[in-house]
Amino acid sequence: MIRLENVTKTYGTEIPAVRDASFEVAKGEFVFMVGPSGSGKSTLLRLMNRQEQPERGAVWVAGKDINEMSDSKVPYLRRNIGNIFQDYKLLLNKTVFENVAFALEVIGRPKHVIRQQVPAVLDLVGLSDKEDRFPHQLSGGEQQRVSIARAFVNRPLILLADEPTGNLDPATGEGIMRLLDRINNTGTTVVMATHDQRIVNMMRRRVVQLDRGVIVRDQERGVYD
Amino acid sequence: MIARISYAFRETWASFKRNVTLTMAAVVTSAVSLLLVGSTFLIQRAFDNLLTRWKGDVELIVYVRSDADPNQIQVIEDALNSQPAIIDVSKLRYLDQAQSYAEAQKLFAGDPGTLRLLTPENIPSQFKVVPISQDSNLIRELGEQFRSLAGVREVAYAQDVFDVVARVSQFIRIATTAMSIVLLMVAVGLIWNTIRTAMFARRREIEVMKLVGATNWFIRIPFMLEGLMQGLIGGVLSCLGLWGLNTAWSNAVADFNDTELAALVVTDGYMRFVMFILLGIGAIAGAVGSGIAASRFLDV
Repeated sequence: MIRLENVTKTYGTEIPAVRDASFEVAKGEFVFMVGPSGSGKSTLLRLMNRQEQPERGAVWVAGKDINEMSDSKVPYLRRNIGNIFQDYKLLLNKTVFENVAFALEVIGRPKHVIRQQVPAVLDLVGLSDKEDRFPHQLSGGEQQRVSIARAFVNRPLILLADEPTGNLDPATGEGIMRLLDRINNTGTTVVMATHDQRIVNMMRRRVVQLDRGVIVRDQERGVYD
Repeated sequence: MIARISYAFRETWASFKRNVTLTMAAVVTSAVSLLLVGSTFLIQRAFDNLLTRWKGDVELIVYVRSDADPNQIQVIEDALNSQPAIIDVSKLRYLDQAQSYAEAQKLFAGDPGTLRLLTPENIPSQFKVVPISQDSNLIRELGEQFRSLAGVREVAYAQDVFDVVARVSQFIRIATTAMSIVLLMVAVGLIWNTIRTAMFARRREIEVMKLVGATNWFIRIPFMLEGLMQGLIGGVLSCLGLWGLNTAWSNAVADFNDTELAALVVTDGYMRFVMFILLGIGAIAGAVGSGIAASRFLDV
């Protein structure tokens, strides 16, 4: 589903954020990318949906070299990739329903599809009763569920999660992890960057460890350290 | 499709309301610059009308001294009639002092100072000469010959006046064109800036849109529509202004309908053509300016 081949990415003239990274994620897999802040986890995620382009190496997603495709094709690539962030990136002037609907609206989905899919995905994340609330009326965990609903409403092949539990207390974070696990069980490939040791150790999934831009460990059913 | 169109209009309207001041500035600037563009068109056309009218008219006037005796006048007339190759003798007209005075009353209607100095006794009488030859050098040579005749006070060439007017019109053309280009650039710059501000205000939405896979065109179109509307509204305002100016001017010069000033007007058809052009320039400048701005700031 995702394959990186000797990828190097440098910001400015500094030392590379990612150096000669190669690994592969199979369809339906769940992968943790771990490592301290600045080790290149986020950069790797950004390379996977072409928010960044590498200096060297290739990134393959769903059978395509995404740095070879033209700019006009990138939006269609991204429709297959959901994104979740530590800070949720919800639109504060829109309700829960509108935030999720927005993701369908801006890719031109008709109203009747929106009316059908948004309640379904809100049901999946457990927010059916809160669709008219605004983000500031929700807890952090609930806001993250809205952002997951938005990322998943278009049924993407891949979900990229950048520190999704970073702003949440442990219990709430666990709830989010269970939700991501359920989404993974539907066949969606999940790549999650985190430095939350407890969660990694709890889930016992594949772990790719980064240190200053270099992959130093790639372990099936691994733990944080 | 309908969902996309209604989305674009909703976003355009919301953005308009969010940036009232900047939008107003962009609209007013484009209106003023377009008004100047339109004025350039009209002034140019009016001068062209005036010059065309003169071209087919008198080209040479032989002024006769007010103290010239009838013999001298006869000599001048005979001399003119003896040049049928250069002069259209059938159109040769002699205005005596009374007729010249009556003409001066109209010509200098706006200049009472000059008029007070003229009397039917001191005003020169004149031969109005229409040349056949198109060769202005030949006409000038002939004029110089007449200048040496007794009783001739002065020979005036319409060509000279024509040249002055043509030079003035050329100057006005360059000046107004330059000014309107500068103002148009200012207007595009302001529209650009409005769009940049609008995009900055919506940067979170744009970020999310890009992440969920909205195409650049989808993101760009509401902003382009906003710029287009600003340009178009500016165009409408400039048309109203231009129409008002033109009406006032036409009414003012209508009072001089026996003089050359009355030729300094344009037809309604041309006016409509200019208005159409202004709306077009406004819409295109707005859409292009905002489109470039949107593309430029879309790269995250």
